Amino acid sequence: MDINKIKIAICSNSDNAEGNVSNRFARCDFYTIYDSKTLGFTFVENTAKDSVSGAGAKAAKIVSTLGVDVVLVPELGPKAFEALEAFEIKAYQYGNKNYSVRDALYEFYENKLPELLNPSGKSKHS
Amino acid sequence: MKIAILSGKGGTGKTTLSVNLFSILNKGVLIDTDTEEPNSHIFLKGTNVSTSEVYKNHPVVNYEKCDFCGNCGDHCNFNAIIPTKTKVIVFEDLCHDCGFCEIVCPTGAISYKQKVIGTIHTKEITKNKKYHYGKLSIGEISGVRLIESLKEMTDNEETLIIDCPPGVSCSTVAAISNVDYAIVCAEPTPFGISDMKMVVELLREEDIKFGVVVNKSGIGNDDIYDYLKQEEIPLLAKIPFTKERALLYSNSKLITKYDLKFNEIMKDIVKITSGENHG
Repeated sequence: MDINKIKIAICSNSDNAEGNVSNRFARCDFYTIYDSKTLGFTFVENTAKDSVSGAGAKAAKIVSTLGVDVVLVPELGPKAFEALEAFEIKAYQYGNKNYSVRDALYEFYENKLPELLNPSGKSKHS
Repeated sequence: MKIAILSGKGGTGKTTLSVNLFSILNKGVLIDTDTEEPNSHIFLKGTNVSTSEVYKNHPVVNYEKCDFCGNCGDHCNFNAIIPTKTKVIVFEDLCHDCGFCEIVCPTGAISYKQKVIGTIHTKEITKNKKYHYGKLSIGEISGVRLIESLKEMTDNEETLIIDCPPGVSCSTVAAISNVDYAIVCAEPTPFGISDMKMVVELLREEDIKFGVVVNKSGIGNDDIYDYLKQEEIPLLAKIPFTKERALLYSNSKLITKYDLKFNEIMKDIVKITSGENHG
């Protein structure tokens, strides 16, 4: 994976790169998409947010459709993890940090975020 | 006559009221639809008649036919089927068995597989009295199928008491379908009233006639009586809290067998509610 040719989705509370990262993967308000080729940000409203169930897997499908290679997440439940794996999207964890979307991105590029190799949380809404 | 006993809040006395009302009837059937934690059978005992399994379907994908078009995922309301480019993930626990994915699949790659989600137990107390209860398997998230089975098997019963699950979710909605009357068993506490209001809303929406039994009266406060008056909801009975009743309950005894006053209250409730059938 060439980290200078990928698209990264960051779970966000707002449509602003200076806004805070979200503490939910599947039920966050926006995905901030950073395109490392163009260095540009786009903000996509998360339509998985109001799912009755299975929001995690739906969210994985949404970011896959957006052509994302990497997601930066607070945590991942088992269904979201399984789906991201199937879509061949890697997940890196910022955990419960309270900082901006841009900060999370910097930390990713500084190799400070660990890759999630297993689900980190339980299913929230079965 | 089919009577549902429900509460909104847990622990207000649905099962106590159900089994004790049932205990003074000469004939009839009771079903315990609280499939996540059924406990009517602990009070009713009786001899085993039968145990049967209840199934739910979930989709299985035949990869020789699947062309990964994604239709199945687009039409699932519960995100139970997630197609990717190389495989289709099925979350069995999220599937509601609606059959939509099979219909929209253009290549006929989806078929259904059965899975046991729980059991229904039937017991007999006397020749004219039996009861059924459903028990959801561990890990299953919805008891609705079990409740529907319980309702189907008792559809032709003349006298049916339905011990409902707490809350106002799909399980409760399934449990109160086609009933003639509902008894809301509430406790006179702020929590009891708050949860009862949701049940009242549900019963009004479903257009089911109902009355309220205030259980454990004497605890909490009097707000519930003001609410009932204000909403013009009939108060069917007040069952005062006593330590003796709590003790009998905790020893899985039927209170009607030991407590004459309590027995009279049950009789009054039966009288009022059976009158509702003709009125």
